[in-house]
Amino acid sequence: MSTLLHSYTPPSAPLGLRPRPSRCLRPLRFQVGRMGNSVVRAQAATEVTEAATSEGLKKGIAEFYDESSGVWESVWGDHMHHGFYEPDTAASLSDHRPAQIRMIEEALSFAGVSDDPMKKPKTIVDVGCGIGGSSRYLAKKYGAQCRGITLSPIQAQRAQELAAAEGLADKVSFQVADALQQPFPDGEFDLVWSMESGEHMPDKMKFVSELARVAAPGATIIIVTWCHRDLSPSEDSLKPDEIALLNKICDAYYLPAWCSASDYVNIAKSLSLENIKTADWSDNVAPFWPAVIRSAFTWQGFTSLLRSGWKTIRGALVMPLMIEGYKKNLIKFAVITCTKPN
Amino acid sequence: MRLLTHNMLSCNIKGVTNGFPLKLEADKWVTKEVDLNADFLRGIFPKIEWSALLAAARALGFAELPEQADASMLSSDDFLRRFHHALLELHVEEGALVCPETGRKFPINKGIPNMLLHEDEV
Repeated sequence: MSTLLHSYTPPSAPLGLRPRPSRCLRPLRFQVGRMGNSVVRAQAATEVTEAATSEGLKKGIAEFYDESSGVWESVWGDHMHHGFYEPDTAASLSDHRPAQIRMIEEALSFAGVSDDPMKKPKTIVDVGCGIGGSSRYLAKKYGAQCRGITLSPIQAQRAQELAAAEGLADKVSFQVADALQQPFPDGEFDLVWSMESGEHMPDKMKFVSELARVAAPGATIIIVTWCHRDLSPSEDSLKPDEIALLNKICDAYYLPAWCSASDYVNIAKSLSLENIKTADWSDNVAPFWPAVIRSAFTWQGFTSLLRSGWKTIRGALVMPLMIEGYKKNLIKFAVITCTKPN
Repeated sequence: MRLLTHNMLSCNIKGVTNGFPLKLEADKWVTKEVDLNADFLRGIFPKIEWSALLAAARALGFAELPEQADASMLSSDDFLRRFHHALLELHVEEGALVCPETGRKFPINKGIPNMLLHEDEV
């Protein structure tokens, strides 16, 4: 029996035969440095070696999306993110695409991104771009150049094909790259977009630092991501049963760490980003997972799943846990926006 | 990968101070015609690193860009056509981008550059 309870096991290890690591839920503790400028460091609470996890995690994420992307696309289309719904509505599959578009529009509106020809973004980066749904939408909406980055070579390829098919090949381009080491010089982009990719980042500080680095002066940064609930002032961490639930979800979706929306706000503050705003959209995405589950039980959904691989199926099996997490007010769907100082 | 994209990519290996521009080694490239949009070209020109574009275009056998360029040239149709062709119509399908400081090669496959760093480069 392995004694490596706190280290990352490569994704090829069969589920059930490896120990359940608690590596994925390390409460992120933030300390404000005492020297002058507030320097905030995220501290991992377990002794996971970052080097050992990072390579394996990136590979796991890439393989997960290489395998699942096709299934998702065939049932849900080219936007790999939650739809935005009116609270307490039941959503059907035919509502999902408008809802996914609405999610993009709500995020842009919340951030106050201008449509004005003089002020609208001209260069955009889509961090964790999937098969490029957001990239193509934003490029079309603003007539802008958009660069997408993803860990999955298959997604990048598909994104490129879809762009060419839509006549957008001269506006958008896709690269295989790491959001924690973006291959762009400083200050390149007017709009920095991360739609449901933050969950995959093992180092939230590095993630937001990179978003800030590639943002041009005055640029807008938009992060839409899954979080856990904010901790109350008396709490040091989530409760054990909450941690246990999130751990199960982490494994299936290659999520290395959860933090709260407040954690993101604090990171943004520590990086001197301005106009920091956040909102809880959990009620607006609540209809989404039941709709996804129902789609898995349609003939098309079911057969697609069967044709995909274990990683995709495991992801599908874990969907009820997402619903449980939302119902318990543990999992939150948050938008965080800010601007880079001029 | 178009040269417009190449103009925005840099090497971020830890410790590298001079990761831009990446040298272009192209094994396979194609020309894909795109409608010329003069407004777009005039708008993007200030953001373009000219020497990087020049070198990359030459690597693809296109030597018709002037050594230096300034905004006054944007009123010339001839200049716009050459600028447009280099920036948007040349697509590298297979090849590599080479870090000017370390020589590290980032592969380009089916038009997509892979800029992932190895563990020891981070």
